[in-house]
Amino acid sequence: MLLLNKDQVTNWLNKLMQTCQVFAPVKEGDYFCFKQISSCDQVILNYNNTRVPPKEVLFPRSEKLFCYRCENDGVQLTEQIDESKKIIIGLRPCDAKSLLLLDNVFSSDKYQDPYYLTRRNNTVLVGLGCNQPAGTCFCTSLGGSPFSTEGLDLLLVDIGDQYVVEVLTERGRALLSGMELPAADQEAQEAARMVKEGASLSSQVNLEGLKSRLDVNFYDPIWDLIHEKCLGCAACTYTCPTCHCFDIVDEAAGNEGCRIRNWDACMFPLFTLHGSGHNPRPTGKERFRQRVMHKFKYFVDNFNAIACVGCGRCIINCPVNLDIREVLAEIQGSEVRSDNQ
Amino acid sequence: MRELTKAIQETAQKLLQDKEVELVVGFAEGSLPLRNTPCFIRQPEEAQRLVWGYGCENNLATYLRKRPEKLAVVAKGCDSRSIVELIKENQINREKLVIIGVPCQGMIDRKKVTRLLAGRELLEAEVKDGQVVLKGKGYSEAVPREQLLHDSCLTCQHPNPVLFDIMLGEPVPVKEADSFGDLASFEAKAPAEKRAYLIQELSRCIRCYACRQACPMCFCEECFADCSMPQWLSKSSLNVQDNVFFQAVRALHLAGRCVDCGACDRACPTSIDLRTLTHKMVKDVQELFGYTAGVSLEEKPPLAAPLSSSTLNHF
Amino acid sequence: MKNPYLPLLMRLVKNFVETEDKLIHTFTLEFLNEEDEKSFQYLPGQFAEVSVFDVGEAPFGIASSPTEPGHLKFSVAKVGVVTTALHQLPEGTILGVRGPLGNSYPIEEFKGKNLVVIGGGFAFTTLRSLVTYILHPQHRGDFGKLTVIYGARNPGLLLYKDELAEWEKRPDIELVTTIDHPVEGWNGRVGFVPAVTKEVAPSAENAYVVVCGPPIMIKFTLPVLEELGFPPERIIMSLENRMKCGIGMCGRCNVGNKYVCKDGPVFTRAQLNQLPNEY
Repeated sequence: MLLLNKDQVTNWLNKLMQTCQVFAPVKEGDYFCFKQISSCDQVILNYNNTRVPPKEVLFPRSEKLFCYRCENDGVQLTEQIDESKKIIIGLRPCDAKSLLLLDNVFSSDKYQDPYYLTRRNNTVLVGLGCNQPAGTCFCTSLGGSPFSTEGLDLLLVDIGDQYVVEVLTERGRALLSGMELPAADQEAQEAARMVKEGASLSSQVNLEGLKSRLDVNFYDPIWDLIHEKCLGCAACTYTCPTCHCFDIVDEAAGNEGCRIRNWDACMFPLFTLHGSGHNPRPTGKERFRQRVMHKFKYFVDNFNAIACVGCGRCIINCPVNLDIREVLAEIQGSEVRSDNQ
Repeated sequence: MRELTKAIQETAQKLLQDKEVELVVGFAEGSLPLRNTPCFIRQPEEAQRLVWGYGCENNLATYLRKRPEKLAVVAKGCDSRSIVELIKENQINREKLVIIGVPCQGMIDRKKVTRLLAGRELLEAEVKDGQVVLKGKGYSEAVPREQLLHDSCLTCQHPNPVLFDIMLGEPVPVKEADSFGDLASFEAKAPAEKRAYLIQELSRCIRCYACRQACPMCFCEECFADCSMPQWLSKSSLNVQDNVFFQAVRALHLAGRCVDCGACDRACPTSIDLRTLTHKMVKDVQELFGYTAGVSLEEKPPLAAPLSSSTLNHF
Repeated sequence: MKNPYLPLLMRLVKNFVETEDKLIHTFTLEFLNEEDEKSFQYLPGQFAEVSVFDVGEAPFGIASSPTEPGHLKFSVAKVGVVTTALHQLPEGTILGVRGPLGNSYPIEEFKGKNLVVIGGGFAFTTLRSLVTYILHPQHRGDFGKLTVIYGARNPGLLLYKDELAEWEKRPDIELVTTIDHPVEGWNGRVGFVPAVTKEVAPSAENAYVVVCGPPIMIKFTLPVLEELGFPPERIIMSLENRMKCGIGMCGRCNVGNKYVCKDGPVFTRAQLNQLPNEY
């Protein structure tokens, strides 16, 4: 464990910016978001969390896959892989965990997504522990914690005027080279321990037995009602650090164009609409069920992990306060009926 | 508030008990401070879940279109005005809807609270005697309620429902006419500055379409933003021009239909200022056509009615 | 890292109007590069994403058979943006193709077995691939009796009419074609596919059945197959949910925890019985 004075941060980031793209929480309007910074003044590390998660650094809401130019007798394709070195500073442990979950999606035994994976391999993650988890945070229910180091290269623990830096990987260590940080002394370590102890979560969800309920309740009448107030927007999915669905479209003019992928959401009817007009998930009921099932059952079936990190963004951002904690509690509280089409 | 809550519960319970309706759409306690949440009540004994508060910010008219069953809705002023427009657009069958009118004291804007608390988390809130007491870890702060109301509530001319079957509570006093003062700074801008402002705001758009989904009047079978043949706008939210184009067309499509409830603005997860556009449209419609949306079942919406010579004279 | 989103370039050598309503065209594409052809190793039942540059891409079952080297065939109904553009393309246009994608019909399991192929309307594309593959002199001996039941609303809507005529003449395939309503000059059967299947009554013994067609046809054919004694493990179906990436990442084509693009599109009825009915 090392010790970083807060007044050294500017210096450090300036140094990092010389060789890498540095993404950090900056204030935009009333809220925070991860942006590539051009000056250290923009960075605010004393923040709760961002509205849109840092997944967008690795999986942008819109990105070019390749561009093309149609010529007389052929088509020229140009792959658009972003190979720049990146650092994300100050991401929360829940968001770091979400990237481990996304890794499952973008790298299967058969296919690798070079856009995500190239960025992922070139990105160093500097986490910031949560001294004061929000009332909507429930990471501990999902195996995380406010100071979890899972998936991080460095973890910063704010102890007042200084950060205790936990070096977790060689890549993390390399970021500190030349800084000559002193080892965290007894006092700092004790302060870090106190901070960690003081970071308690008030919110929990009960996941025990949830999966076995979802295994059998696809046709349960609970789905008829549980989605009712859902408006069918994508505020929850687009601000979810583990949601990864996307659309692929062409944007072209004249004989040039690009193939682009954009975030997409299971909450939209168009997401699954067949060319024939048939829609396997025709109403809000099926779409909302898909969202819950995908996170808490299908993802578990396929990757042995729940696709939720308990960041609470969907709770904060839902325009009608459809709270996933309540949804899960309702499913848990419902009488289990055996499946029957 | 407590009396209104009680009156809503009793009314809903009775309507369900007497089988006058199958469903009551109202608000329940939310899961966050200063937050109520839409709720759907079908059993008389569940009517106890209904409440009235300062977080009943959603426009419940959104849930009323093309419903098969006979139902009741708890409607504040803006909800009732959207209902009026939706009836005129044949989206709501008046015969099958019981409107439980509730006078609205204005809803609290949690964005304003966030701004005021500057990073401190709100854990609890209480509204009494015109004051909102905000509480969190190590602080408790009282703020005059007026300071925290939504802008759309501050200028609302119809806090009392314009259309109802049952009216609960006492009507609240109506404020003086909307001077559209909040638009002054936008209107004073040169076209390029206006554009720059919209571009800046809409650069945060992630195309989640929460604005559209929350709006009771945005009910097109296929939204122009979703069309693929032809594709009117880029599907990429990084195309800020097209984010602006989307909101501009949305606002235009709401001309004479938007009741300035502010639902779109509240729904936005990246808190884009959408109301400047919609409010400006409300103002323009008032000035050009002398029309206020949602106040009369008889008056035709200006863009759905033949232009009269007096209207034409405006141009 | 191989980029699964980059299409191979192919030349459209034939844009053929397949059906009399002109809504289905069959496209024949040739590889521009020899290496691409070598890398494109596929089996009947697989699909590919076809790109029309400046419009977009869409998934289609491969209608050609790996026994027909040098080209790929796709039969495409005009329903959306990409397919409409495709229909209008002049021969010679350069297209993109990603694939082969998805699993295939379980050819290995079919070996030594009798095979019943049931198709309806324009869902005969990958079935053509399968039948062509089996009829190939090098493969025919690996399989038992081959029965094909194929129906369309009227004769003009049958795909691959020339080939059907060829198959008709062959002794090693029993071809039954049917149309919904009688038409002058029609020598095949008249009636819906489920009813005709019942009449033909192919034996379930030592046999697999492959069914592709519109949902309504599937719905009424399945009970017939059950009656004939086909167990769910030997009823093979192909799903076609909306897809984009084709590689199990974009999240839209799932049925329960399976992705139609990656884990399918071919499933046994037994597998589908385990999945929710979201297709």
